[in-house]
Amino acid sequence: MFPTPSKRHILGGQSIKSSMNAIFAGVFAAATVLFLFLDPDGFLPAMLSGGEKAALLCLDLLAVYCVWLGFFKVLEKSGLAEKISRLFSPLAKKLFRTDDSEAIYCAGSNLSANMLGLPGAPTPLGIKATRRFLDTGNERAADLLFVLNATSLQLLPTTVIALRIAEGSAAPMDVFLPTLLSTLVSTLAGVLLLSLVHAVRRKG
Amino acid sequence: MKWLSLLLPLLFLGVFLYAAVKKVKLYDAFAEGVKEALPLVFSLFPYLAAMLILSELFEKSGLSALVTGWLSPAFSFLGIPPEIAKLVLMKPFSGSGSTALLSEILHTYGADSYIGRCASCAYGSSETVFYISAVYFAGTKKRVLTPVLVSLAANFLGVIFACIFCRIL
Repeated sequence: MFPTPSKRHILGGQSIKSSMNAIFAGVFAAATVLFLFLDPDGFLPAMLSGGEKAALLCLDLLAVYCVWLGFFKVLEKSGLAEKISRLFSPLAKKLFRTDDSEAIYCAGSNLSANMLGLPGAPTPLGIKATRRFLDTGNERAADLLFVLNATSLQLLPTTVIALRIAEGSAAPMDVFLPTLLSTLVSTLAGVLLLSLVHAVRRKG
Repeated sequence: MKWLSLLLPLLFLGVFLYAAVKKVKLYDAFAEGVKEALPLVFSLFPYLAAMLILSELFEKSGLSALVTGWLSPAFSFLGIPPEIAKLVLMKPFSGSGSTALLSEILHTYGADSYIGRCASCAYGSSETVFYISAVYFAGTKKRVLTPVLVSLAANFLGVIFACIFCRIL
């Protein structure tokens, strides 16, 4: 049921659009010039520490994917995945404007895992849904899923509450309501702004 | 918080039992799923490496501190305390970095102070936008600027509102 990543995605290095290339070049040049004047010896260690972070992050991701992709395959083979996707489909069809049941299942489960704050679970689902959307040329849906993910949907800010308890807060849950409300603001603003951009682009 | 620690084991138990009843070969199915993990990580790795090296240069070169310095008057104008400006700028780039910063702020100013509450809400209502974009759009033929800018703007608005909500709630 899950789409395997197609060749196009894996070999897409030269095809990343110029915006990312421009950002990379600009920030890289500015940071390197600063290093040149302030701390030339710190340049290579900084880059190496970035590479090390990438290597460690990939190991972490691999561990997380092992657990969740195994779990999702069992979910899929049991037929539960299909039931879940049917549950989501009326809303997801409207939201993402697609009839693709695999994409709907991935995107819907991504969003609910996000809200529950299941550690690591949303990422592989989100990647699969995004690739599926892009493969079928549904760029709007890929953007929308990204914006929903990137404006935080989590209902219970577990990390924050744990940190507040650790720092001896008398009322760790005190921030629950303001966080929920501001998350609501950012998610709504993101969706509205995105629809606006797409509407303008369609007209222009 | 108790229910949350029960949720995961119950979820796995429920799904695996259901699958066993449906005569799914659990061991084979699980292993088949795991098989997809390595290609996925391989396809992400080059882009994550480039992004993380860049963000490390951004941080260690002092560029990030410079930008924070430029922006903090604008932040104060919008009602965001300058004490949390660095956290707001760090969040889109690094989850672990901003977690460390939040813990530092809570320690310095007190978890229940206005600054502490404000920082907690700002952290909780935004996401690591650049990290998510690197992972989700890694190696795809996709314009990433639009969704990234939209998310950054929306999260920033969320932070402004978080500071307001913390004051009145």
